[in-house]
Amino acid sequence: MTEFEPKIVAFCCNWCSYAGADGAGVARLQMPTNFRIIRTMCSARVDPEFVLRAFSKGADGVIVLGCHPADCHYIGGNYRARRRIALLKLVLDQYGFDPKRMRLEWVSASEAEKFQKTMTEFVDTIKELGPTPLKEVKH
Amino acid sequence: MSFFDRFRKKKKDAPVAKEAKKSAASAPVASGVVCKTKTPESIEANYMHAADLGELLPGAPPNGKIKLAIYWAAACGGCDVSLLDTNERILTIGDMADIVMWPIAVDGKEKDIAEMEDGSITVAIISGAIRNSENEHMAKLLRQKSQIMVSYGSCACFGGSPALANLVAGGSKELLDYAYQKVPSTSSFQADYHPDAPVMPQTSYAAPEGELTLPVIYDRVKTLDQTVDVDYFVPGCPPLQETISHMLKAFVDFVYHGVPLPPKGTQIGVTTSSLCDQCPRTKEYRRITEIKEPFQVDVDPDLCLLDQGILCLGPATVGGCNARCTIAGQPCRGCYGPTKAVQEHGASALTAIASLFPVLEDDGIIGEDKIMDIMSTIKDPLGYFYAFTMAKSLIKVAVNEKGGQ
Ligand code: SF4
Ligand code: SF4
Ligand code: SF4
Ligand code: FES
Repeated sequence: MTEFEPKIVAFCCNWCSYAGADGAGVARLQMPTNFRIIRTMCSARVDPEFVLRAFSKGADGVIVLGCHPADCHYIGGNYRARRRIALLKLVLDQYGFDPKRMRLEWVSASEAEKFQKTMTEFVDTIKELGPTPLKEVKH
Repeated sequence: MSFFDRFRKKKKDAPVAKEAKKSAASAPVASGVVCKTKTPESIEANYMHAADLGELLPGAPPNGKIKLAIYWAAACGGCDVSLLDTNERILTIGDMADIVMWPIAVDGKEKDIAEMEDGSITVAIISGAIRNSENEHMAKLLRQKSQIMVSYGSCACFGGSPALANLVAGGSKELLDYAYQKVPSTSSFQADYHPDAPVMPQTSYAAPEGELTLPVIYDRVKTLDQTVDVDYFVPGCPPLQETISHMLKAFVDFVYHGVPLPPKGTQIGVTTSSLCDQCPRTKEYRRITEIKEPFQVDVDPDLCLLDQGILCLGPATVGGCNARCTIAGQPCRGCYGPTKAVQEHGASALTAIASLFPVLEDDGIIGEDKIMDIMSTIKDPLGYFYAFTMAKSLIKVAVNEKGGQ
């Protein structure tokens, strides 16, 4: 049997995390290739509806990456984002998902290594959890 | 003063700027109007006036009476009562239409409908969600026999409260087991009278007189338009009289005056913006520091409920009901559904409410667990934000994963 290769959606804010991801690429840091990055202008641009849509379309995990608290390019975007994501996690938990399928992490433009570490860890977590439970139910 | 306060002034100014723009555009609103029967004034004022139907309908229509069917699927009956609430007009509707079926009021039966020719009913109005085989059969039958199908009320349009049962991961089996074996009244009944094997409802039973059947209950509640093709949507739990009048006006204008019907898919009786624009309460754009239930506080009659810490879904709900709940001091629970711009009512409400929690002095150094503690003060967010729209949400059913609830 071939190993389960999860599909992961990673939302990266333009000013920090996307640059961090870019840095990881330029530095040729080795990472699993299970994630697709979607660049947003800020972590606050990630409407909870985007995350739910990703899951409804079969994503096995969703990760939102933004600037560290106090570092958001738009000053307060990540403060909004972290509250929405927390509430969204509660909703996903109520749906019956393992809350580990959704993660929020802060990665700055200079933290290529943190990006690599976060993504590798997240892919491992999702591999452990297995495919999205939504696959089994008609929805 | 918090960081976000400095944006407050701007926000407050925004509606004024919008109004100025609106009055400049004096031409009647042609595109982007969800309901043609709505007057431009009602959009400007953001208040849904009852459509003028004239004192009484002018006798029989020129081309003869139309045929009308009204049906309830998985409904509480409130939608039917709202139609009866049209008061004396309900009698004059008899001048316009032959009511061929209406379980709450007239005698037409399924077999009478089945015998009719396809397309011979002019309008079928269905309330309630689709939760069992009978609901589905009747929806399909009425669709086949009718030219126009109206999805009436929040249950038909969005799933409504019945669709919250989609969150029971075990589906219909778990629901039936619970209702017939676990609730105190049935569990003691089963223990007293059927100690060996509980008696459960059967979908078919061979009685001496012949076979008796009951509908099959489904695992998942669907909306009407997930089951059959729908022409018009009339939201509300139940729809307000003003909303109903706009639906009736569309039909009356068509039947008596040959005015074309609104475009297919129209949501009748809603405004183009959110409920907050209809709500007369003063908005101070305060932050939520503590969540309150209306019974816990002396509700200020003039101040926005969110400003008082009461979770009101007005910002995420489409206008149309003239803020009937918030005027009465109760938060909007979102029965008119989402605004046009979003698909997910729940996510939209969640976003609006989460954004109202204040940024803390130490927000730069605290961890996500602290934020989680704060947001956990909202009890049952899934049930609260999706109270009416579960069947229309992006994820429509519960899943059962180890680690989740
Ligand atoms: S929409 Fe409301 S009033 Fe109508 S059937 Fe559903 S629960 Fe009852
Ligand atoms: S009370 Fe509710 S509907 Fe009214 S302005 Fe406040 S949030 Fe909006
Ligand atoms: S205020 Fe909200 S819950 Fe109340 S009738 Fe209007 S849309 Fe429905
Ligand atoms: S710009 Fe990076 S989180 Fe706002």
